[in-house]
Amino acid sequence: MFDLEKNINDWIRQFRKHRAFNTGAIREMELHLRDHVDDLINEGLSEQQAFEKAITEFGSITPMAKEAYWSQRPKSRNNSIINTTMLKNYFKIAVRNFAKHKFYTFVNVMGLTMGLAIVFLIGLFVNDELSFDKFHVNKDHLYRVVENQYYAGQPVFPVAVTPTALAPSLVEEYPEIVNATRGSYNNYRFKNGDQTIFERGGIMVDEAFFDMFSFPLISGTTEDFKENLNALVLTKELADKYFPNKDALGQSIRLEDEEFDIVAVMEDVPKNSHLPFKYLVNFEKFLSDNPRAATSWGSNSLYTYVQLAESADFDAINAKIEGQIKKNNESSVVDLYLQPLPEIYLGEVDFTVEAPRKGEQMYVNVFSIVAVFILIISCINFMNLSTARSAKRAKEVGLRKTIGAKRSQLIFQFLSESVLLSMLAITLSIGLVALLLPSFNQLTDKEFYFMELINSDSIISIAIGILVVALATGLFAGSYPALFLSSIKPVLTLKTQSISIKQGAGLRKVLVVFQFIISLVLIIGTITIYQQLKFIQSADLGYNKENIIYTSAPSSQSKVLASELRNDANVINVGLSNRHPAYVMSSSSGFAWPGQNPDETILIHFMGIDENYMATMEMEMLDGREFLAGDTSVVIINEKAKEIMGLDEPVGVTMDAYGDRRIVGVVKDFNFKSIHTTIEPIIIFKLDQMSQVYVKYQDGQEAEIVSSMENAWNKVFPDRDFSYTFLQNDFDDLYSAEERTSKLSTYFAVLAIIISCLGLFGLVSYAMEQRMKEIGIRKALGASINSLFGLLTKDFAKLILIAMILSIPLGWYTMDKWLEGFAYRVDLSWWIFALTGFAGFAITLLTVSYQSIRASQRNPVRALRHE
Amino acid sequence: MISKNLTAASTKPIILGILRQGSSYGYLIIKKIKELSGGKMEWSDGMLYPVLHRLEKEELIRSEWVMAENSRPRKYYHITEAGKRELNYEHEQWSQVNSILNEVWGIKPSR
Repeated sequence: MFDLEKNINDWIRQFRKHRAFNTGAIREMELHLRDHVDDLINEGLSEQQAFEKAITEFGSITPMAKEAYWSQRPKSRNNSIINTTMLKNYFKIAVRNFAKHKFYTFVNVMGLTMGLAIVFLIGLFVNDELSFDKFHVNKDHLYRVVENQYYAGQPVFPVAVTPTALAPSLVEEYPEIVNATRGSYNNYRFKNGDQTIFERGGIMVDEAFFDMFSFPLISGTTEDFKENLNALVLTKELADKYFPNKDALGQSIRLEDEEFDIVAVMEDVPKNSHLPFKYLVNFEKFLSDNPRAATSWGSNSLYTYVQLAESADFDAINAKIEGQIKKNNESSVVDLYLQPLPEIYLGEVDFTVEAPRKGEQMYVNVFSIVAVFILIISCINFMNLSTARSAKRAKEVGLRKTIGAKRSQLIFQFLSESVLLSMLAITLSIGLVALLLPSFNQLTDKEFYFMELINSDSIISIAIGILVVALATGLFAGSYPALFLSSIKPVLTLKTQSISIKQGAGLRKVLVVFQFIISLVLIIGTITIYQQLKFIQSADLGYNKENIIYTSAPSSQSKVLASELRNDANVINVGLSNRHPAYVMSSSSGFAWPGQNPDETILIHFMGIDENYMATMEMEMLDGREFLAGDTSVVIINEKAKEIMGLDEPVGVTMDAYGDRRIVGVVKDFNFKSIHTTIEPIIIFKLDQMSQVYVKYQDGQEAEIVSSMENAWNKVFPDRDFSYTFLQNDFDDLYSAEERTSKLSTYFAVLAIIISCLGLFGLVSYAMEQRMKEIGIRKALGASINSLFGLLTKDFAKLILIAMILSIPLGWYTMDKWLEGFAYRVDLSWWIFALTGFAGFAITLLTVSYQSIRASQRNPVRALRHE
Repeated sequence: MISKNLTAASTKPIILGILRQGSSYGYLIIKKIKELSGGKMEWSDGMLYPVLHRLEKEELIRSEWVMAENSRPRKYYHITEAGKRELNYEHEQWSQVNSILNEVWGIKPSR
């Protein structure tokens, strides 16, 4: 029996082989055939005869396909992935979709915006940290000469300063070293009319300094710098300060009690120089005042920089100069090596007497990782929300596929959609960055200005960077939804009501867990850093830094000032010292004591105080006594010194410390350096003339003590400016890096959890929407709100629980590594993890609850009436 | 029987001419052509469609699907203003050819 339908279908199928025919055209021809067959049957033919006649008259398909193909050929270009007509359509559909799902779009864009803003800020920070000292034209040939000192029983002692005689000897003896300069910080009092201003930021340098480093001159010349002992180079800042409205060049100015000639004015030193300064003084001046210093190989007091010839072999020179000090000073225990200039700022070695600006590679690494993590979290949000919502887009995909969209086109469509969103997020995040920059500057102690960034030379690379980030984010975040959506079978989407969101749910869960692991680790990190910081700040330093104010006075008259101050009611005690209590860098290996192993060289720090200092600083004596007013030739040692010197009963022992001196007491170990380092041995001398005056005052009398001191100061030193510092502030500065890290990581952790929760919030609300009917039925059948809440929350709570369990070991490991950098560290206690877990759980529960409570309270009728 | 080349060349004015009479769909257009030519033009029905689609692409005609309750859906083609202009132009061309040919037929063989 002839089956007309089957034959027609078979005939139609032949068209499908040819790409010239689209669905519409095939349909058109099918209808043609059917009309023709009908007409022929009406004329009296049988079905089979009619069909055969009709297809014969229709002609063969292949030449027709060719004809159609040729006539449509220009259109075939439209079959490529990208074409303008479709782009317009993609754009339209994308915008309509965004508008239709405002909430999800908002969540998506907000998450990405926050993430990207953080990434940009961190990018600025990291970029700046990495840019240190790279502005010097000769940066690849410039090195700082640094020391490794070796002492028995102690770890290597790295020192950044070197002897005075080193630089000239290096240039003289090694032809590969083409230039060398010394750099020694030395601050002067500038006389401006009747005013005396103590200007920090002065460096004494050799003339080669100007050839080696790229600090451009605005005016003047440094040609005769070496010959002119009183030559002075000012930065623009100081030139403007002392010579407002006129040219500083050629003028002279009094520093201390001598006239100096301003031979040149230079640009202000860039913020990203490890060696900041405001004015430069001729090193020859120092040598002419201290003629013996020129040949000194003993004391390390200044930075030595060298420039190597371009052809020079770095390793060979390093080997040659290693023993340069030992060669000139037999008793030396110092090895030298070259440190490349661009590596100074982020160098790993913790040098003693490091340059004023020093960064931490660790922070750069940590922040970079955090940036990547936050970006990943925001991308995960994006992926999760998009795939979850894919059910809604499935129909569109089905339809597009039916009409002939290729998979590559669909992938392109969805990727371009996510790139569009990420572009939007980028635009918003740039605005956010502009808003946040001032606070960020404060937080990081940097100076970024939005307009400066826009106008800077690097704007093109910044713009390219931003575009790359946008593209990468869009592509990465959109990759999974694009692949997932484009793989949907059109039949499924068009036949059933909606495809199950179970598809991709597994991956979504993994991503949520991953997201929360990152957030929780960041929280653990934040709490630990905060703990450590508190620990450091409240750590027993061995003295009491609170309610101490200090000033620096001419050492010949500091005692007069001290006794003047003692008359004040706000003053509890006044002590003198020649060293800052947290910055004792002077040390010597020249001390000797009975029972000392003559083969061992032991480095011992030293400082000088008066008889009131220990009481003022509330230091504790373990043995013997403090200094008395009439004491001469006495010293006090600390516990560590007692231990390393091997003295069981040190009190009463006479040792050789710049002459014979009797040990009268042992003081409890106190931190005379950063708490990053362990306590080292120290000998404390009793001195007569010291410049630093430490005042212990009544609690809460900060304002009063400053005015009391100023009065006393003006009485003793009527022609000198008074300046003061609270000891506590020094500590705040000392630990400012940690403080910064603590604050930054707090912000990062908070942001990470907000972004994660934002994504979770979107995901939960979507799940609730999907389960609306289920909830309605359950309610109608009598489920209580409580049981519904439990049901709805359970799934997500499980994920968070898994994240918690995984994040704890990860967080523990990471923070344990970080704490290794501290000599004194807080223990990682269980409650940090408990608190993190609890906080994370509470926050996510809150996020989930809002939606699930809303869903479970909804009137079931509203959910069910649609069917 | 009219040659293939000539058939192909005349398809465009024929289709445009038919559509100027009123909108129509593929099957009817073919039927009309067959009627008009009285079977003298050899056409395979299928070859009409690529031509229709090309004309549509050139915007000489446009199309729309018409769904009716009691018959099959049909894709109706309408002539556009550009199509009418094109038809006039074709008309002129063919007339010129025609008049030339008329002259040619009138030429007596020499000698």
